[in-house]
Amino acid sequence: MGTTASQLPKDSLSEYQELTFLTKQEILLAHRRFTELLGRDERNHPNPRVPMQVILTLPELKSNPFKTRICQVFSTSEDKDGSLTFEDFLDLLSAFSDSATLEIKSHYAFRIFDFDDDGTLDHSDLEKLVNCLTGETEDTRLTSEEMRQLINNILDESDIDKDGTVNLSEFQHVISRSPDFVSSFKIVL
Amino acid sequence: MTIEQQRQGFAFTGSGHPPDQESLRFRRASSPMSAQIYHEPDRGTSPAQEAEQSGSEPTRELRNMAFPMALKKAVRQVQQMQAPAQFSGGSWKQKKTIFVRKFKSNAREFLYFFSLWGKTLQKIGGNFGGGVQSYFIFLRFLVVLNFVSFLLIAGFVLIPSIVFRSVDIKPEISNANVLSAQIPADCLKYDPNPQGLVVFYEFFLDLLSGTGFMEYSYMFYGYYNNTVVVTSLVGSDFSYNLPLAYLLTAVFYFAFCLICIIARMGKAARVAVRTGGSDVRSYSMIVFTGWDYGCLGSKATKLKQRNIYYRLQVDLEEERLKKHAASLTLCNKVTLYSLRVLMFFVAIGLIVATFFAIASATTFSQKNSNVQGILGLLYTYLPSIVITTGNFLVPLLCDQIALLEKYPPSATVVVALLRAVVLRLVSLGILLYTLWNQIECHGSTDMCPCHYNHNNYQCWETSVGQEMYKLMLFDLLVSIALLVLVEFPRRMVVDHWSCKLTQWVGRQEFVVPSNVLGLVYGQTVVWTGALFCPLLPLINTVKFVILFYCKKITLFNNCRPALRTFRSTTSAFFFLAVLLFGWILALVVMIYSVAEIHPSFACGPFRSFFRMWNIVPESLSILPKGTRDFLFFIGSQAFSVPLFAASCVFMCYFIALASIYGKSVAMLRAQLKLAGQDKQFLVKQIEKMKLLSPQDNEGDQD
Repeated sequence: MGTTASQLPKDSLSEYQELTFLTKQEILLAHRRFTELLGRDERNHPNPRVPMQVILTLPELKSNPFKTRICQVFSTSEDKDGSLTFEDFLDLLSAFSDSATLEIKSHYAFRIFDFDDDGTLDHSDLEKLVNCLTGETEDTRLTSEEMRQLINNILDESDIDKDGTVNLSEFQHVISRSPDFVSSFKIVL
Repeated sequence: MTIEQQRQGFAFTGSGHPPDQESLRFRRASSPMSAQIYHEPDRGTSPAQEAEQSGSEPTRELRNMAFPMALKKAVRQVQQMQAPAQFSGGSWKQKKTIFVRKFKSNAREFLYFFSLWGKTLQKIGGNFGGGVQSYFIFLRFLVVLNFVSFLLIAGFVLIPSIVFRSVDIKPEISNANVLSAQIPADCLKYDPNPQGLVVFYEFFLDLLSGTGFMEYSYMFYGYYNNTVVVTSLVGSDFSYNLPLAYLLTAVFYFAFCLICIIARMGKAARVAVRTGGSDVRSYSMIVFTGWDYGCLGSKATKLKQRNIYYRLQVDLEEERLKKHAASLTLCNKVTLYSLRVLMFFVAIGLIVATFFAIASATTFSQKNSNVQGILGLLYTYLPSIVITTGNFLVPLLCDQIALLEKYPPSATVVVALLRAVVLRLVSLGILLYTLWNQIECHGSTDMCPCHYNHNNYQCWETSVGQEMYKLMLFDLLVSIALLVLVEFPRRMVVDHWSCKLTQWVGRQEFVVPSNVLGLVYGQTVVWTGALFCPLLPLINTVKFVILFYCKKITLFNNCRPALRTFRSTTSAFFFLAVLLFGWILALVVMIYSVAEIHPSFACGPFRSFFRMWNIVPESLSILPKGTRDFLFFIGSQAFSVPLFAASCVFMCYFIALASIYGKSVAMLRAQLKLAGQDKQFLVKQIEKMKLLSPQDNEGDQD
């Protein structure tokens, strides 16, 4: 006998379908996977919140180098600890879904790359981004000389107003020229 | 950006300020205002404004807003409270858009369920990247193309043939052509059935080379009859002209393949053009869009990270090399260029030597086609062996040459590809040319009463079909043999025995371009042979399916991801362009066979015609006068010249349109740059005024 908390009410389902890019099957699957992550006593809670450590055990996120940033961006918790409610989880899957638009994806990509949450990608953000991309092991870390050359090249190419940082519209301009971005910015359960 | 996007840009920041002004505002404030930027508590005004402006499609706007779910729900409530009247008025439009959207998403889900190997392709893309995935997508396209064209051939040629044979309709010995009375008895001799008992291994040899029991079967051209079913014979309103059907099916098969290729090329080209010709390997592109979020597992992630690291390192190094090359002295440049010219001639020489080897192998093979047994098998397969060896060795040698030429890495890849394409397709062309040379006889009419070399080829179309069948089969056997004898052992050796040599050799890398060229070669062989071996598309479908699974197995077990990745978008266009070259080669062969060589007297649907094409005018002459006049008019100059002129006009129009769009894109880019410079100027002005105004204030107070 299932409790009401472990089943998704029908009007919520249709509301979520309207407010996200997910199909009905995807929302139900997301609800099932989310409920599996909850502890036994949390299942009866009206709006359970899953801590970041537990979310990061999902196989789709476990080995993603941006996993902590993704959780922090989509989290609506007061103390910014990266914990997610079910609705945050749906927001995450909606932004990473197959049918999400380029604007939504590029907006969230920008926020994920903005490590210090200041609204622009400056030198330190870009450096952390490149380190995430290449991995932190010794043999895949760029030398400081190469890093400097790389970040200068990136800023040359994308910083149109020459303020030393990449803001959202400059970022979206770069993204719009890439045909692979929409298909690679995808996480499917 | 359009106004729509700018409005959404306002909504994204949630504070009613455009994003770039946001950064400006922020630079003056000292405290990080990230919460304010992204979760602006000023909910009442901007989302509601957004809601009012959205009008008839509120739901689409809501999904596309980058708010947390709670905020979106609140906005939705506000919308529903605010504009009930709007809903009833625009409800039909709204319902229609919702219905269309639901239908589209349902259709997409349904089609995705049917798409062949969808999950496998996703897994391949996640683990090995877009370049390798594009090879498998290309392979899937070829499988579907071959299968659908086989259905075409089966429906119009194979099934009627089977039906007519089972109903036992006798083939016609038509007196349509003048030659009928003068056909020498020699030309009509054709005896494909083997004599007496067949030894067991001969069965196997026959299977591999298409002779023996396979020769006189539905497999090859020689088995089909020139049955023409006329209404009077059957007694009902049914008539079927099998030779005409055979020829027109071949023509439509080519046209169908061309349309499919062009349609896919159009799709790929549109994507490539949209990126505006910008340097797709640019650093910001790699860094911002390089990560594939579908990557699963720590091993795949580490590989992807190493992949990106190598890409960045190689690009940075290439930039350093370019700077270095620009600073070379004149003397160095001269030596480099002369070396390149020399290597170019060496490469050409290698390729020409391969062609010569293929020509002599084909001639030798055809001369010794009567030898039996294993040696005979070897002789029949000699052209395939020489082609495969050449296609294997010459690119290796060209790679060594490329090391001397010292092109930048990107140019090296393109040059190697071009050489490989030329080698593969032209070597096939040489083989066909030699074959056709053997078939035709170049003497006077006395020496060649049948207008073709009837001593060696009683049914030359079947021989050509057999040659194509052998090429195709050998290709598959070599792929499987390489898999079993080279790739698996290599993996075993590298994994279990670590010494310096194995570390240097390393695991197999899945090299996309050469694999794609193999596919194009196989498909070109099938196109060339389809006229002479109607079942070839079906066998090719089976072959490509086997190849898919073999390549998938070797990819997942033996390969490591390539360090130099192949761009997946421009590469799709490149693969299709090379496939088109193969198509053109096959088309040339088909046109030559249909229009220039006398069909065999002893076999096949065209046995009574002077040229294969002659069936068409003959059938047209039975048509009613009106249709005939119409068709003649379409073929005449009075129609084709204005048609040609009109197509030229349309092409000029489209070229002009394309150049206008290109210019406007460049102009918009320049405007964007200018706007950025204006902003910088204004920022400087503001800072200057800020510096001035406190001093003024102080001055006033004093």
